[in-house]
Amino acid sequence: MLPLLAAALIVLPFVASGYWVRLATDVFLFAILAESVNLISGYAGYAALGNVVFLGTGAYATGTLMVDLHLPFLVGLAAAGLVSAAYAALLGLPILRLRGHYFVMGTIGIDLLTREVVYNLGFTGGGQGLNMPIAPWSPPALYAVFYFAMLAVLAACVLCTFYVERSRLGFGLRAIRADEEAATVVGIPTTAYKVTAWVLSAFFTGLAGGLYAYWQTYVDPGVVFDIVTSVQFFVMMMLGGMGTLWGPLIGACVIEVLGQLIWGQFPTVHYLVLGLLIVAIVLGLPRGIVAWISERGQRRATA
Amino acid sequence: MLTQQLVDALLIGGVYAAVGVGFSLIYGVMNIINLAHGSLIMMGAYTTYQMFVSFQLNPFLSIPLAMVIWFVIGYALQRFVLNRVIATGVLMSMILTYGVELILLNVALLLWGADYRTINLPYSNASLSWDGLAIPVLHLAAFGAGLALTALLYLYLTRTRMGRAIQATALNREAARMVGVRVDHVYGVTYGLAAALAAAAGSLLAAVYTITPGMENDYLGKAFVIAVLGGLGNVWGAIVGGLVLALAEGLGVATLGPSYQLATGFFIFVLVLVIRPHGLVGKRFYAEL
Repeated sequence: MLPLLAAALIVLPFVASGYWVRLATDVFLFAILAESVNLISGYAGYAALGNVVFLGTGAYATGTLMVDLHLPFLVGLAAAGLVSAAYAALLGLPILRLRGHYFVMGTIGIDLLTREVVYNLGFTGGGQGLNMPIAPWSPPALYAVFYFAMLAVLAACVLCTFYVERSRLGFGLRAIRADEEAATVVGIPTTAYKVTAWVLSAFFTGLAGGLYAYWQTYVDPGVVFDIVTSVQFFVMMMLGGMGTLWGPLIGACVIEVLGQLIWGQFPTVHYLVLGLLIVAIVLGLPRGIVAWISERGQRRATA
Repeated sequence: MLTQQLVDALLIGGVYAAVGVGFSLIYGVMNIINLAHGSLIMMGAYTTYQMFVSFQLNPFLSIPLAMVIWFVIGYALQRFVLNRVIATGVLMSMILTYGVELILLNVALLLWGADYRTINLPYSNASLSWDGLAIPVLHLAAFGAGLALTALLYLYLTRTRMGRAIQATALNREAARMVGVRVDHVYGVTYGLAAALAAAAGSLLAAVYTITPGMENDYLGKAFVIAVLGGLGNVWGAIVGGLVLALAEGLGVATLGPSYQLATGFFIFVLVLVIRPHGLVGKRFYAEL
């Protein structure tokens, strides 16, 4: 099944039209964001609703290096991942001490604060945003490049999650989710584990931000730090299944494809559709698609 | 000059108390982060705006009307939608309120568009002068109304039977149920009250500022800051939080420039959250950390 899917994904940009390639790239982007937030929120149970801050940080790391310092894109992209990871490490100690709702609000506060600072800095272009250099490729080649780049980051992110899930770290994170006091008592270095998970999460989110910046050729502070985006990929993770390897990918696929097809038709009710979708998901599938499928499977097996 | 700026800033603090108190109440009683709070404020503002446009109703007079309308909507929302997921975990209810936020935002965009709207009153620019300071009449009235409404909510919660039932439910839902409190109904009333206060805050904002659907985002952020400064779940704390935020914003604007208004607020928010998560006023009222 998996090799078949991989082959299809590799062939797609050579056979499909530009629209579908862009849509697929968009799905990959959201899949990276959902899978990244899954590391800290799904496995460790820390709902980082402001995780979009690392998308913005990554986008601005790439953007400022390319625009202000005229460095090549690959340098900018590497910086996107590293700067975001460093930011998470720095924030991790004070913010990850907060529990439950206080953590949620802390991450949102950090995102809003970062956005406001970016609005006020000179080298970020302020509220005007940053115009990126135009990539020297023809449009079809450009779409294919970003398609494969996004796919590669997604693959790395999934692979990382796969290994984390099976490692000491993964067991530790799940123990923290179940009961943090108990996890501390049995000797799990909870702080180190939480910070590591958030740093990994920020690293991949930042890479996605760097790619996004060059792909869109424009960085808008209102967009890359938008809490709506954050809630969107959070809901994707929840719909698919929190703390599962494939859940966030399934969620991103379902919501993004459905969403694009719907609000491509009705742009004026974009928020309404998304809002109703969220309400329907929470009321209808509160434990996610992956749990729903496996429950059905078990019921069939016992029947 | 600085004193004038700080007076201007402080006057909006009364409205800020009303902006934050509903958010704090919902958190304290039901443990929900109500992400729809900003859009309730925005809808309150547009309700009052529409009353002014259609019936030339004075914005201060349409406050009770807006409060009743949004109490009913808030009650129904909690009773028939949010109550269904409240038991399945805190994340679900929070995400659900975000769905509501987006729906209300889109409704406002469809009904009133994205333009800026203003209520022009004959005394919009009138001001009292006192010791060389100019005190805008409208802002002073909004200040008093915001504080009064917040104080009324406090009296309601402490002096009435329903208010005590709300407090009892906040302290221990099961025990409250055992002594005969209808928890579903109490939750509905709690959300309704919060929505009514949000609508009142929105009406006051419509009276003194220009409004746009985009305001929901800013005021959700401010509600966070005010509620955390005052201590989540603490009704009196919202007044402290509102005044502190207003002053801090004023200082930020006076020293760093107008574009730093929001940044100052978010900065002290993160700072307080990290250093003193249960708020500036200290004692926890309902909520547990």
